[in-house]
Amino acid sequence: MIVKVCDRLAPSCPLTAIAIVALVVSLLPVTGWCQIAPDQANEIRAGIENRIEALTILGGDFGLAGGSFRSSSRLQPGLTTQVQSDISKGGGAGDVGDPRPLGDLDIGWQPRLQGNMGYLESTNRPLGVLAGDSSEVATYAIEFGGGARFWVSDRFSLAPTLMGLYGHTSNEYTARSSFMIANLTRATQLGLVDWSIDTWTLRPALDLQYVINWGRSIITLSSDPTYFHTEGFSSSNSNVRINGDSGSIANKIDADVPLYIEIYGHELRSGGYLSRTELFGDLRSGLGVQHMNEIHGRLVLDFLNQFWKVQWIGVGASYVWGTNITGWTAGADVAFRF
Amino acid sequence: MAPSWSSHVMLISNPMVIEHCLSAMVRGGASIAWLAVATLALAGCWTAPVASVQPKDEPRLIQGAIAVELLTSVAIVRSVDAAARSVVLFTPGDPAAVTYRVGREVRNLGAIKVGDAVQAAIAEELAVYVLRDGRLPAPGGVPQVITTDARVLFVDSSYRLLRLQFPNGRTETFKVNRHVRLDQMAVGDDVVVQPVEIVALRVRK
Repeated sequence: MIVKVCDRLAPSCPLTAIAIVALVVSLLPVTGWCQIAPDQANEIRAGIENRIEALTILGGDFGLAGGSFRSSSRLQPGLTTQVQSDISKGGGAGDVGDPRPLGDLDIGWQPRLQGNMGYLESTNRPLGVLAGDSSEVATYAIEFGGGARFWVSDRFSLAPTLMGLYGHTSNEYTARSSFMIANLTRATQLGLVDWSIDTWTLRPALDLQYVINWGRSIITLSSDPTYFHTEGFSSSNSNVRINGDSGSIANKIDADVPLYIEIYGHELRSGGYLSRTELFGDLRSGLGVQHMNEIHGRLVLDFLNQFWKVQWIGVGASYVWGTNITGWTAGADVAFRF
Repeated sequence: MAPSWSSHVMLISNPMVIEHCLSAMVRGGASIAWLAVATLALAGCWTAPVASVQPKDEPRLIQGAIAVELLTSVAIVRSVDAAARSVVLFTPGDPAAVTYRVGREVRNLGAIKVGDAVQAAIAEELAVYVLRDGRLPAPGGVPQVITTDARVLFVDSSYRLLRLQFPNGRTETFKVNRHVRLDQMAVGDDVVVQPVEIVALRVRK
């Protein structure tokens, strides 16, 4: 499709093509850089689409960490882009009530609800020929769904779930480089900048969990393979289309430790988790991240059976690192048990 | 374990994602460890908690005078004696009305009238026993008969929760203080519930 663009932009085709590729590349965390060629046109456009899909999932899915992330890519010698992403999320997952028998089987089950709302802002500041420009992507997303947790022993359970995620993603490009000032209209017409699109995502997952009681401490091992299928609709530009598949597997170890210290009748608890999330499909290529590690610590007060359905209230913080990404998050840590 | 993974994979339509997921599951050390753990976990089975089981421990009093607070369901006031600071409450579904002492911290006792629907917070003391056929062996040789009110249904020593099941099937979950020996208590233990006094009383419309 970029080849057609070159036809339209014949007088300045080489320079324009280079600039547009540079622009697109600046929107992506990692991609190749070379002269424009027909077989690369689809790749470039797919790159934008993968990026939209990935940001929607990163911003809207409760399973992936929120926070402030920084990633950088050296696209080619002399051309680097810095990406800053800030993600605000509120949501979580929980099992409702106590396990109840599943028919005559020695299996317990309980309903499971999951939900999330998120907002993501990602700012790319390209260098090189587009130095001075900035490209901002904003994503609003809301996610809800559920399933059931099945206990096959007192310690081991598995929870198949299905969620739906709605997202709205838009791009706003600020041109300050002389080149993009001259070509912004064309880039907009091509759907490379200043677009918006709505997306829906179907999210089946299976959470495997093993609980170990060690004294009064609770250690939970979990593995969460998740699949995402995303499609776009209501696009502001017919050239921007989304239809992709992603996946992730998060392996986590969580410790919940009572500290034997009471504050106003509530016991202080500490703990946290260490997780590693492998990304697959468009999520991996769109973010340019193969895996993310997260270490989380929390200090909370136990409110279970003392204040509505609140299990604990406190503060928590995470540090995230992985291939081509670092980030952190801090905030209130609240857990409920229904 | 295998069927679980298979059911997930069936939902994946993109062959590349399938390949990545499968290879990660197969190759990843953590995933292999998980498979092993899950296989071991499957060796057991889940059983619903049943309070009527006979505890295996030796008969004894595990702990008495365990202070808890119970928030009752809505009850009807049958009589009030403000001078003696007592009230008689009847809870629909219970066999009989019960007389309670009202604590000094309840300041609205004068406003309570016969026929009011009220909800009360009652301070209670629990005594948890391991009994054999309702009897507690005594040092002298003559077993002491203990009349119990409930049995232990669930113990969460981490969050200090003790759930009791009463003969009518009703369950109550209590938060106990951290000096309670929950680690010695088990499902099926017998419990004597002794009301102490009402510590809060609220009229419900």
